Order: sequence, then structure tokens, then C-alpha cells
Amino acid sequence: MFSKQKPLWGKKKKLKSSYDVVLIGGGLHNLATAYYLAKEHGITDIAIIEKNYIGYGGAGRNTAIVRANQRTQHNVPLYKEALDLWPVLTKELDFNLMFNNCGNLNLLHSEAAMKAARMTIATAQFHGVESHLIDAKEAKKLVPSLNISDDITFPIHGAMFHPPGGIVRHDAVVWGLAKGAAQYGAEIHQQTEALAIGTKDGKVTSVTTSEGVINTKQVLISAGAYSAGLISGMLGIKLPISVLTIQAMVTQPLKPLLNHVVSSGAYHCYANQTLKGEIATGAHMDPWPNYTTLSTAHFIKHQAEALSEFLPCLKGLRFMRIWGGLADMTPDMAPILDGNDQFEGFFMNCGWGYFGFKSCSVAGKYMAEFMATNKCPDILKPFALKRYEEHKLMGETAALVNYSPDN
Amino acid sequence: MALTITCPICGKRNGYEFRFGGEEKGPRPVEKDLTPQSWCDYVHMNNCVAGVQEEWWFHKDGCGSWFSIYRDTTTNYEVEKMEVANNEQA
Repeated sequence: MFSKQKPLWGKKKKLKSSYDVVLIGGGLHNLATAYYLAKEHGITDIAIIEKNYIGYGGAGRNTAIVRANQRTQHNVPLYKEALDLWPVLTKELDFNLMFNNCGNLNLLHSEAAMKAARMTIATAQFHGVESHLIDAKEAKKLVPSLNISDDITFPIHGAMFHPPGGIVRHDAVVWGLAKGAAQYGAEIHQQTEALAIGTKDGKVTSVTTSEGVINTKQVLISAGAYSAGLISGMLGIKLPISVLTIQAMVTQPLKPLLNHVVSSGAYHCYANQTLKGEIATGAHMDPWPNYTTLSTAHFIKHQAEALSEFLPCLKGLRFMRIWGGLADMTPDMAPILDGNDQFEGFFMNCGWGYFGFKSCSVAGKYMAEFMATNKCPDILKPFALKRYEEHKLMGETAALVNYSPDN
Repeated sequence: MALTITCPICGKRNGYEFRFGGEEKGPRPVEKDLTPQSWCDYVHMNNCVAGVQEEWWFHKDGCGSWFSIYRDTTTNYEVEKMEVANNEQA
């Protein structure tokens, strides 16, 4: 605010009356799409339309965890490529994304969860993703502060260890991609709200914004959890999405004690130590749809109880900050990437739930290919909206988070 | 975050006593002439309104009633039906 430096993505420009491509939403997915459209496909006449400012939504509210140990064969290759892209993007963008591949340790608290982990690990290994099943003692070696005794609510049976995952600095990704996209000529228009999409004879013709009308043949809505409401409101296309507030918090900073991202489905809690020393933790979602992004006492209590059971050394620690963001959940916990279906030139990339951060680079890369060639890349084909009426829902709901000691 | 729900039998209660039961989507489609699309619409599809919507709730830790209310999804406050009619979007 007080700096004389102009932002990395250039000075504010006047909105033109036409662009080749309009991207609604100034989050990571559209910044990545713009970057790849320009870099890989030579399409540089791009406007990114953002109601607030870039990185204001999910991009800046997630807990920055990245991993590729999802459940199904369609999802794993996508997340694996995303994981492989972090070091590549760090170089390409000439911007330190602070990728700390400290590994993810997923605690298992029942035999059912151990069995589910074996299947998840088999899927990961089949796709060349490193993931192992370890027992409680080995988990204790990795995280000495872990409580592996029997006297807690959900004793630890073992863990799924996924070494290539970790943490990426989410703001750096916003800034890096914005800089990268802008260098190729993409324009980022903040404080500009998309109000309507014009169509004629089944084709996209324009986007009406708070700063004027833009003529365009291609528009992509990827506005995080606001996508479903926008798509339904502007074009009448209903999506199988529920928008929920998801909360996260950080504790006061500590000396290094947690070398891995630790998560637990049964405790419904994950924790990792940031480079500043804070324990970042979260996982609680409101059980009813809402756009409030408010935090709750219910969640603070839950998080304190869970953490002080499986990481008892954190007892008595103070929470420093708490915040909320939105997650757009689909019935099969997998995203919707589609285009040129309901309207020629209309594309959507949404429904990522709480997986939007880990996937932003790869989703942007393939959505760019989709928009540039008007041909859906093979890797995105299973994510079409049609899958719901064809009853081809993906099996991501079988992921470990849903295995509790009750099943 | 204050969420209270007014149950038609038990009155105004803490929101955590209830289970959310989905957006109001009208009556279940009749079996005759049912297409995969119309069934999918009914089962999965939502409007995801950032504002007031009519929705179903189940009083799971109470009397067990199913009922619908109007709620503003941007504030979590219940809204009277009369207010909704006045501000109804096209």
C-alpha cells in the first residue's frame, strides 16, 4: 500500500472491449490457465476478471499442503503431475515457491483404515507415486512427538507415508503465476466483477463486467467456490456442488518439532509446522452449505481436543490466528472440468473441494490446452459434468478421510 | 457463528442439533418418463445461491421432523418467507 514499487503483474490497465479469452476469477487456477495459454499456446490476449483482488479466495486461505496420494486412477496422475510441476514452475517463473517436500504422514486408527490405505498405496505405486504403509513405531520414529499409546480416543495402528508431498508457499504461487502470465501479456483486472455472460445461437459472445462489456468467444469460469453460483446464475447450468466453509488456524510459533504434514481422518484434523514455526492446522467443515467464511468456537474446541490427543506436547499452546475459506464439494469428491458442451466457448473448472491448491498448476495447464485446441485433453475427459447423469461418479469418497474406527 | 434453526415442533434450537437435508427442489419426479438427466437434476444438482434459499432440515437430536426453512447462506440467518417474497430474484 505504501510501496512505490508497482506490482509484479504490472500497472492497472484499462479494460478493452474485446479479448480472445476471458477468465472469470483471479485465483490460482485461472492465473495458471492464463500462464499456460500464453506460454504453451501463444494466446496472449487474455483478461482475468477478479471481483476482489488476486489470491483473496481459496488461493490465500488454504493450508498449502500438496500431495498425490488420492484414491482413484483418474485423479492420481493429475496430482502427481502437479507435484512434479512445483520445482519446474519455481525455475520457469524465476520465483521461489518455497516447495518443502517434507512428506505427508496419514495416521490410521483402525484395521479398516489400514486396509483402505493398502489399496490407496497400491494405486499410488501403480502410478509411480511413492507411498508406503508403516506401523505405529515407524510413525513414532518419523514424528517423535506422536502419541502412539493405547489410552487415547483413537489409538494409532499405523500410517500411510507419502514422502514426495509437503508444503508450498501459496501466496508465492499467486504472485509467481501472476507475474508469469503478465509477462506474456495477460491482463489482470482486479476490483472488476463479472455480471453476465452473453450467448447467441448456443455460442458465447460476450462477458458483462462492472467495468464494461467485453466481446469474446471463449470464457472460463474458475472462481473457486463461487463458480457454481455464478454458472447457475449466469447460464442456468446447475452443478452437483455444495459450498461449505472450511476453517484453519495457526498456533504461536515453536522450535521445529514437526518434520512432516501429519493428518488423521478419525480425528478429522491435520497439522504441519510452517517455516515460521507455527503449527498450521485445520480440516473442520461446516456441516451445512454457507458462504460466510466465519470461524466457530465449535471448531477451536475440536481442534484443541484432537491435537492434544495425538500430539500431546501441543497441550496448552495458544492459537494465534483463525480464518475460514470456502470449499465447493461434489458428491464424488472429484472436480468438474468441462467445456464446449452447454455453450460453444464456455468452459468451467470447479468442484475441487479442498483440493484446489494442490491441483492449480496442472488444472491450468490442461484447461489451457482444452481452450486453445477446443479438444478435451484425455486426462480431463473423466471429469466432465456428464458423468453424474451417466452415473459414472468417481470413487474419491473412498479416500482415507472417510475411514473411521466405526467401519 | 450463530446458526439457529426453528423446528416447527421444538422451536428455535442450536443448529448443531440438525442435519442439513439439501436445497428444496420440488416434488420427487414421477417414475414415468423419468430420464437419467431429470433424475440426476433431482438427486445431485444445486443452485448454490449466495443469498436466501429454501432448504430442508432434519431435527436429528430432537423430535425427528423434516421441514423446510429459508436461510441466507451468506449470513447463516433464518429469514421469514415474507421477506423472501419481497426480494425474490427473477
